[in-house]
Amino acid sequence: MLTNYIKIAWKVLLRHPFYTFITLFGISLTLTVLMVLTSFLDHLFGSHYPETKRDRSLYVMQMMQMDSGRTSRNSGPMSFRFLTEYAKSLKTAERVTICTFVNSSNAYVGSQKIKLNTKFTDADFWEVTDFEFLEGKPYNEQNIANSDQVVVITDDFKKHYFGNGTESVIGKDVEIENIHYRVIGVVKGSPVTRPFTYSDVFYPYTAPKSNYQRAGMRGGYVAILLAKKQSDLKTVQDEFQSHIARIPLPGVQEGFKYAILEVKSEPYLENFIGTLMDGNKGIKTVFFGIIAFIMLMLMGLPAINLVNVNVSRIMERASEIGIRKAFGAPVRTLMWQFIIENIFITFLGGGIALVLTLIIIQLINNSGMIAYADLTINVNVFLISLLVCLVFGLLSGVLPALRMSKLKIAEALKS
Amino acid sequence: MIRHLFKLIWNKKRAHSLLLVEIWASFLVLFGLSSLIVYNVRNYREPLGFEYQNAWAISLNSNQDTVEVAEKIERVLQQLRDQPEVEAASRMSSNFPFSQSSMNNGVEYNKKNVLADFFSTDEHFAKTMVIPVLEGRWYRSADSVGKYTPVVINRKLKEGLFGDEKPLGKVIGERFKVIGVVNTFKSKGEFMADKPALFELLDVKTRWNDLLMVRVKPGTDAVFEAKMVKAITTMVTGWSVEVDHLTDSRKTTHNMTLVPVIIFLIVSGFLLINVALGLFGVLNLSIAKRRGEIGLRRALGATGTGISEQFISEIWVLATFALLIGLLFAVQFPLMNVFDIQAGIYLTAIAISIVVIYGIVTLCALFPSRLAARIQPAVALHEE
Repeated sequence: MLTNYIKIAWKVLLRHPFYTFITLFGISLTLTVLMVLTSFLDHLFGSHYPETKRDRSLYVMQMMQMDSGRTSRNSGPMSFRFLTEYAKSLKTAERVTICTFVNSSNAYVGSQKIKLNTKFTDADFWEVTDFEFLEGKPYNEQNIANSDQVVVITDDFKKHYFGNGTESVIGKDVEIENIHYRVIGVVKGSPVTRPFTYSDVFYPYTAPKSNYQRAGMRGGYVAILLAKKQSDLKTVQDEFQSHIARIPLPGVQEGFKYAILEVKSEPYLENFIGTLMDGNKGIKTVFFGIIAFIMLMLMGLPAINLVNVNVSRIMERASEIGIRKAFGAPVRTLMWQFIIENIFITFLGGGIALVLTLIIIQLINNSGMIAYADLTINVNVFLISLLVCLVFGLLSGVLPALRMSKLKIAEALKS
Repeated sequence: MIRHLFKLIWNKKRAHSLLLVEIWASFLVLFGLSSLIVYNVRNYREPLGFEYQNAWAISLNSNQDTVEVAEKIERVLQQLRDQPEVEAASRMSSNFPFSQSSMNNGVEYNKKNVLADFFSTDEHFAKTMVIPVLEGRWYRSADSVGKYTPVVINRKLKEGLFGDEKPLGKVIGERFKVIGVVNTFKSKGEFMADKPALFELLDVKTRWNDLLMVRVKPGTDAVFEAKMVKAITTMVTGWSVEVDHLTDSRKTTHNMTLVPVIIFLIVSGFLLINVALGLFGVLNLSIAKRRGEIGLRRALGATGTGISEQFISEIWVLATFALLIGLLFAVQFPLMNVFDIQAGIYLTAIAISIVVIYGIVTLCALFPSRLAARIQPAVALHEE
């Protein structure tokens, strides 16, 4: 029966190429946009190289201080000392790394200038993240204790600084801002969309200019807390908050009197949305309202369009419906036929969308807009799109199907 | 005639309601898109207010050094000025043009309070950035006598605080004395809205404001830059030095504005094509269904043009309905002053969207209506 329905659907598609084009264009356009979007969101928030353990990590990004009147606030990253005292000491976490957020600097080779991003990290950074070492190895506690001037660089920086040669650069010298460092390792770089791990050059935090000695609570450092397993996240969070609660309130920081002090440890997505919105509720609702509206339009417009075309084409199939009804087919059977037909067309559109998405993702990855972009259609994205596909097919199929199957036999056969 | 058309549409309100929703939704999408474009184009047409070519921003960071920081910054600045490749150099706060950081504060005059971008700069800033001064002059270090700090404001802030009054010599915000007025200063690039801005003379003795703006001679390359960075780091050991070319920073800020607009443009472009195709298909089908009616009208003496006019006016009436509902939504934006954007921008966007919607609708109806005009009464009525 199913093959019969699909055969009929195929014949109907071939009969009017123009309407087939409209239908498939609408479906594949919508699905392509949705799939590229989900794949980009997955790129931003999913667990990917080198933050493959993101699903069991908590991010400590900023400290927020507010005065008792809640009129002025002050927020930003923390000092190395503060994080060592309050985050590094966590007992429930598997590991804790402290590193700077993205800093930038310049290096010069001959008459060439290289803009680069730098990061000061501790040795645990290489355990919490999963960088792939192409050459050499990361710096360890020993290097840090000795204040060795060593660096880990990315393959991209290696290419720019040392040229395209394939020979090893371990032990070679890199000069940045008039200070010489010895290359100890080369890693595959991380995309700029992952600011906690993105950098061209990684220094141990005891290298010059890291400011890890700073005494106050604020500075340039952030932390990643790695839990043993995903279910431990809550425990780690609670322990961290109990540490933060030990800070005496109110206090004074560089002349700013604060009565409220907040340091959050959150999973990546919440942390990201938190910084984007910065707690302002009004803007949050407006922002999400607009996103929801755009999504609704994106999904709704092609759906309305499809329903519209389908409804207008009832009469084309009228004689077929009439004959089937005259031979005793119940409304349910007819409805199922049209629903299956619609799902079939939607999956056809889904297939086209999949190909289009693959092409667009390849284009984005190769365009160099985001260095090290690794957008992929993973299983999750594909399954979600397939589900969306189905909802979409039913949405644009049910209404016309219902109308079609309710036609009176005499009326249907008249034309 | 119009009443007749209303009746025709009302009789088929079921079938037309979907078309109505479709046109209404396309109008809203188009309204969003054109607001965004009109807003950015309007901003783009305002002059930038300074020259970014050959300007470099040098960020210094004293790190753990706390001894005589201000004096050291001044010494570095002095040494930069002595270089033959450097045309002008100036010291300012960290919110240099095209940077990500900004500082704003309220300024008060005569009970009027305006939120303005604050820039702390020295006396050479206008020369370094090539900012033309409209009224008065740029401040000099010697102006800083008494309890008032000399400031230069831009035209937007002048209009906000003074209206038609003469601003020169007036005291604003209790501690600033206006010395000069500049035209526009769009520190975040051409696509930024022209916002009120205030430049105050920086205190050379503070250790903040560690950014140096340098204008180099055209054609100066990275060799000089490397030499300069080396000279600075040997002079002040342990400090970090970072050089940004304003042309590069400008590109980054532009991309941040343009990329979302382009993505939105492509997606809504495809949406509208989709809608247009659908509309075309539906009209085509509905004309096929009304062959009998058309044949009868032709037989009673209606001309071909008359028939196609009828179909186009029908779709226009339908579009007008949809647009009226859409306007109810769109008008809320200028009325409620959403996103603090001028009402004029929203109104222009509404006008553009209306024209485009009518255009699309007409284009979609043109071919099917021609088809209808060509129907021969004898053939059509014979089928009946």
